[in-house]
Parts: sequence; C-alpha cells; structure tokens
Amino acid sequence: MAANPPSQEPTPAPSHLELFLGMQQVALSSFGGGLSAWSERIVVEQRRWMDEQAFLTGLTVARLLPGPNQINMAVYIGSRFHGLSGALVALAGMLLLPFSLLMLLGLAYYYLRETMVVDRLLAGVITASAGMALSMGFKIAHSYSRDPVALGIAAASFLAMDLFHVRLIPLVLVAGPLAMAWYWPRRTAQP
Amino acid sequence: MTALLAHVPHVCLSEPLGNWRHLLAVIWDFLSLSLFSLGGGNTLLNEYHHLAVDKYCWLNSRQFADIYALAEAAPGPSSMIVGLIGMGAAVHEGPLWGVLSGVSAEAAILLPSTLLMVAASLSWNRLREAPVRIAFERGLGPITLGILFAVGLKILRISDHDTPAYAMSAVVCLLMLRTRISPLWFMAVAAVLGLLGLVNR
Repeated sequence: MAANPPSQEPTPAPSHLELFLGMQQVALSSFGGGLSAWSERIVVEQRRWMDEQAFLTGLTVARLLPGPNQINMAVYIGSRFHGLSGALVALAGMLLLPFSLLMLLGLAYYYLRETMVVDRLLAGVITASAGMALSMGFKIAHSYSRDPVALGIAAASFLAMDLFHVRLIPLVLVAGPLAMAWYWPRRTAQP
Repeated sequence: MTALLAHVPHVCLSEPLGNWRHLLAVIWDFLSLSLFSLGGGNTLLNEYHHLAVDKYCWLNSRQFADIYALAEAAPGPSSMIVGLIGMGAAVHEGPLWGVLSGVSAEAAILLPSTLLMVAASLSWNRLREAPVRIAFERGLGPITLGILFAVGLKILRISDHDTPAYAMSAVVCLLMLRTRISPLWFMAVAAVLGLLGLVNR
C-alpha cells in the first residue's frame, strides 16, 4: 500500500461544504464500482482528511456495525469532523446523485415494465443478479471453514430462515446472544 | 427441494398509505430493521421481500426480482433498493408520491444505523478492546453467513424459473467467486441473452 510519507500532516478539518463535495466526488468516481478504493484515494491521498490508519479503523467500524458499509464509512468520515451534522452532510453528499439516478430508473421501471423490451431485458439481468446474490455467502464462507461451531451456527441460521421461515429480528435476538456467549473472550483478551 | 422452489400464489391487497396508522406501522417496520442489517445490509433482503410482497402487497415476487437487479446494476450502494421498494408502495398514486415514499423509506432504514454509527465512531477507542465488541464480531459473523445463504437462495428462487436461467446464475456465481471481472459485465451479457430470448423468467 502506497502510504504517504510520515512528514505529510493531515490538512485541517474540512468544512461541511467540503465534506459534502468530497463525498460527492467519491460517489461520482465510483459509478463503475470500487467505492471503497475510491473513497480511500480521495479522502486519504488527495484531500488528506485523515491518515491511512484512521481510514482503516473506519472501515473496521463500518463493517462491524449495522448498516450498509459504504454508507457507514461516509458517516464515520463526517462524524469525525463535525459529529452528527457532519455525518448527515457526508451521507447526503454520498447519496444525492446515485439515489436521484436510482429514483429516475425506478420511475422508468414502474411505468415501462409492461413493455416487451424492458421485460425481456430484465428477464436476462435478473439471472445475473441472482448469481451475484448467491455468491455473497460463498464469498465469506472460507473464513469459517476451520471452526465447526461457526459452521454449525451458520447452518442453523440458514435452516431457521430458509426452511422454517423465522424472521430476521427474532432469529438474531435469539441466536445472537447465544453465539456471543460462546465466543466471549476468556481470561486474556486477544492482543 | 422442488416443493421449496414452488411459488405459492396468494391473494394480496395493499392498504393505502394515506391511512396514517398504517403508514406509522410501515415506517416502524423499516426503522426497526435498520439495526439488524448485519454484514453490510444484504442480510435484510429476505425481510424486504417479506414486507413488500407478503405483508404489505406492494409488489409481487417478479417485480421484487426486477428491482433487486435494478439496484445492483445502478451506481451507488445496492442497499438503496429500499428506495425502490418505497416507490413501489406509492407510485400508483403518481410519480411524485412514488419518489416521496421512496425517499422516506430510505431515510427510515438509514436513520437508526446512522445514529449508532455516529456514536460508535466517537467512542471507538473505548470499544476497540471491549469483550463485547470481540464477542459481537465473532458471534454475529457465522449468523450473517447463514443468513446470506438463505438470502441468496431466496433471490435465486424468485428470479429463475427454467434451466437456462439457473445455469446462467450458476455461471455468474462462479465467476463472481473466481474472477475480478466487474459484475456490470455479467449483467450486460445477461441482458443481451434476455433480449434474444435465450433466458426466460
């Protein structure tokens, strides 16, 4: 990873407007994908709002806490400088353009979905998106392959939801505390 | 397995959102789901399907598969699908109501997790080594894994109904795992196959 030389200090805290524009730049740059890489390039390398370390901490927190990862990351960046108002401004900058575009696409869909072309087009696209959805579980499965208890918990959660139609909230409220108790760090915590 | 794959049609009537008690119930459903979006939000897809298709009857399964594809193909976080669901709930009243409803749904799903994220960002140094943080991360991970498989299978079931479609999804799944090709390419190829009539619903 090409880190900045340690002599380069982060610049002073960005204003609300700079936060908004910066996150908008991130959103625009990543229109083809790779949002997290763009976010790092712009926030750490170009604008120097924070160093690599602070950015990586943000990624950790964003992945750990509930909520979409990229959106949580924007909230982390914004709240670091201006608390709640900074978070909301960063969030707005991140979402304004893509969400407006999605609303337009949505309107086009709801009004044109009966037409032949749109119907055929989507009949194709949904096979690809279904494949993408299926890959989500496989993508993270390998990190648990050496932990039979984790695989057991995963299998039980899968069966509860797929076979017995248990809803997410009760599932997490019951299985979550049990799994947390099992994995509660004993004696010395990991360094 | 085939019994599980079968889609059971049922009569479903949506209630108007103009009834404020109903509207509050809808908003509460989205607000409360927010804090349960583990693993980046994809774990919520089954719940969105349950709310939009089974509980509130805004969409049918086929439309849900469509807007999932739309949200994945469009730039920006795919969790914005909530905006499309909200739009589906009110778009029959006109485009403006559709957009307003879409924005409200997105705001409701993001608000609680955003507030929690702000709190966590500001107190992370104390949380970092806390046992509860470690137990949360290690305990909720496997649950997320199981839910993601259930979600993947659900989307697969509502999207694909014939062999070529299942084959296409399997190939895309494999390529997603084995290559770093942008998923937009898979969608473009699949769109062409759809236009040519080679894959069907």
